[in-house]
Amino acid sequence: MDRELSVREQIAYGALGLVSLIGFWSLLSVTGLVPRQFLPAPWEMMERFIVLLSTKFAGFTLPQHLWSSFQRYAYGVLLAALIGIPLGLMMGWFRWLDDIVTPMFDGLRFIAPIAWVPFAALWFGTGIGGPIMIIFAGAFPPCLINAYRGAKFVEPRLIEAARMLGTGHFRMITEILLPASVPSIVSGLRVSAGLGWQSLVGAELIVASAGVGFMMVQAQGVVSTTTVMAGMLAIGLVGMLIDVLLRQGEAVIRRKRGLE
Amino acid sequence: MFSRRAIIALATLLALCVIWQLATATFGLISPGRFPSPSDTWASLRQIWTRGYSNGTLLTHALHSIRLVAMGFVIAIITGVPLGLLMGWSRKAEAIINPVFLIIRPIPPLAWIPLAILWLGLGDAAKIMVIWFSAFVPSVINTFAGVRSIDKPIIEAARMLGTPRWRFVREVLVPASSPMMFTGLRLSLQASWTTLVAAELVGALYGLGRVLNAAQQDIYPGMILVGMISVAICGWGTTWLLSVAERRALGWNLAAQKGAA
Amino acid sequence: MASIRFDNVQKYFGQGPKAIRVLQDINLEVKDKEFVAIVGPSGCGKTTCLRLVAGFEQVNEGTVSVSGKTVTEPGPDRAVVFQQFALFPWKTVRENIDLGLRNKNAPSAERTERIARVLKLMNLESHADAFPHQLSGGMQQRVAIARAYVLDPEVLLMDEPFGALDAQTRVVMQEELVRLSRTIPRTVLFITHAVEEAVYLADRVAIMTRRPGRIKEVLDIKTVREAENWDRFQKIEDVMDLDSFVHLRTQIWKSLREEKDAHVV
Repeated sequence: MDRELSVREQIAYGALGLVSLIGFWSLLSVTGLVPRQFLPAPWEMMERFIVLLSTKFAGFTLPQHLWSSFQRYAYGVLLAALIGIPLGLMMGWFRWLDDIVTPMFDGLRFIAPIAWVPFAALWFGTGIGGPIMIIFAGAFPPCLINAYRGAKFVEPRLIEAARMLGTGHFRMITEILLPASVPSIVSGLRVSAGLGWQSLVGAELIVASAGVGFMMVQAQGVVSTTTVMAGMLAIGLVGMLIDVLLRQGEAVIRRKRGLE
Repeated sequence: MFSRRAIIALATLLALCVIWQLATATFGLISPGRFPSPSDTWASLRQIWTRGYSNGTLLTHALHSIRLVAMGFVIAIITGVPLGLLMGWSRKAEAIINPVFLIIRPIPPLAWIPLAILWLGLGDAAKIMVIWFSAFVPSVINTFAGVRSIDKPIIEAARMLGTPRWRFVREVLVPASSPMMFTGLRLSLQASWTTLVAAELVGALYGLGRVLNAAQQDIYPGMILVGMISVAICGWGTTWLLSVAERRALGWNLAAQKGAA
Repeated sequence: MASIRFDNVQKYFGQGPKAIRVLQDINLEVKDKEFVAIVGPSGCGKTTCLRLVAGFEQVNEGTVSVSGKTVTEPGPDRAVVFQQFALFPWKTVRENIDLGLRNKNAPSAERTERIARVLKLMNLESHADAFPHQLSGGMQQRVAIARAYVLDPEVLLMDEPFGALDAQTRVVMQEELVRLSRTIPRTVLFITHAVEEAVYLADRVAIMTRRPGRIKEVLDIKTVREAENWDRFQKIEDVMDLDSFVHLRTQIWKSLREEKDAHVV
């Protein structure tokens, strides 16, 4: 393995990579090797992005679409956390609950969240319930699994100490298992948030009447490639923002616990 | 003979089936337009198995989907794993490629679907492209992590023994990174299925996603359920195949871990 | 009358022909307010003895009882001090000590008062609102002891409590424990592999054989300690210099050596 690079070198090489990519892209587009319709130049995409910030497309401006998407996303992830975390903790403590739920969960796990779309469409039409259901399906497993693992793998000595102190079930779950599992739960939330965001896009491609995914499908329909790309950029930016914020949150919590 | 777990699982399954039957057919608590009864589902299964639905039998659709997943997955491994190895091994390569990755990563694979359709139409090619893309990223990242996680002494030992480059890659680098690499492969496979179903839902002529889409538009819940279960079975089946391959490739790892425990 | 009683206790791990016999024919009584230490070679089952009294393990044959009641489950009447402290990292010192009292549904005023008393007893007043990871090993173990003491338990079970501490801290804690047991005598079962620690702290020392563990012999320390008035010394090193101390220590060492030598083929 070659040696570690200095920060300057990393930036230099990074810039090289980035510039090459954009350059290659621009070349393909400008020379017409790929029809302009299908591969607009990078600056055309940026231009469109900025235009969409204030101009309506498919009913709303880009920020409005984003907000619509984000709301569904937030509800879905919140629901997943509110159900998944307590359930996971209880499964980690009550063996019988684990025995009942785990096989069901293992069976359902293989159904991609997106496969719930037809039922979501059937039950909710293009209302807000559909995407929320899909997002829930995507965000639920990590919440459940991480809470479960957190509870199950608490240091046995701590459980013994709590039992020795005469701790009842409810207190055991809320004051012992829950705090002990916080690092695992937070890590799971980060994964949940990511999966939820991905599921959101998928859901909106099919069962929505507003939102960034919906906007992109409409744009594809009228062959407005710049709009599609602008949508992708927006999705990527928001997704990155969410991940960065959650990582920070995770780091803060780990530090408070004396884990770092 | 039967573990406690298995017995409870079976009992739960039975209980659920009973509740299912009661809620839908017997008491009509859930209308057939919303969720199918067991008999509805069975009827749909028989139809699609024998007479076919939406241009094909269940087998045709399933095989079509599996084919696409396999192709996208394989192309993703062939492109992703070597890239991951390269990035893991060469810090220069990592520095060059990283920013590109950082930009592309947050874009959910499914977000590429409209673009793929614009570029390649509604046929198989667009689907394979999106599948490739969604499977590509986990492969690269996990292979990269796998390389970086190799114990330094192992690499030093190989160099001390004068191992030439390609032998080194084949006999040291790849095996040593394979535990994490396989984790990446599993994630890639999962992503492949998700993407495939989504892509087929958006627009396709064949495939399980097509079945789901048609069933939804025909308001045919029984068929939807059949489609979902088929997706689950195919997903489970391919994952099982992968784990068989993993066990054969990583037998040494399990033994080593057991020894350390 | 808080006493511990092992009646013909047998303990194995596993089942059938592959079962490992850990404890064999354990008969031992810890009388009211007596401090009994168990020493023995590694793996002899001494910790298992403690865990049986604590209720974390069950006997296969025989009975373990505390004050006449057979032990079935863990509980605050048999407070445990663990080797690895087992403090809850997300709770402050005060909250760690409080949990047991809250589980007993003690009224708030009483809890505050009892906690204040035990904090003073263990010199933890200035650290009451700190988190465990902010404290040294010795302090953390003090918190663990405080948490046990505040419960006013029937018996106190200490499982190699100073094993995770460095040598100097260990000595300080041993002196403190002696001070505590002389001022607030309790029924204590103390597990250790450090012979000097056992002789210094205990009223009687039980020596176990290697696996399957049996009680080989029980030495009376208290009579000698009182006759020679060890307590006139504050410092541990002065006590350990005494002939009477050395004699007892050597006796135990020899007994343990027999066990070790029997192992080497």
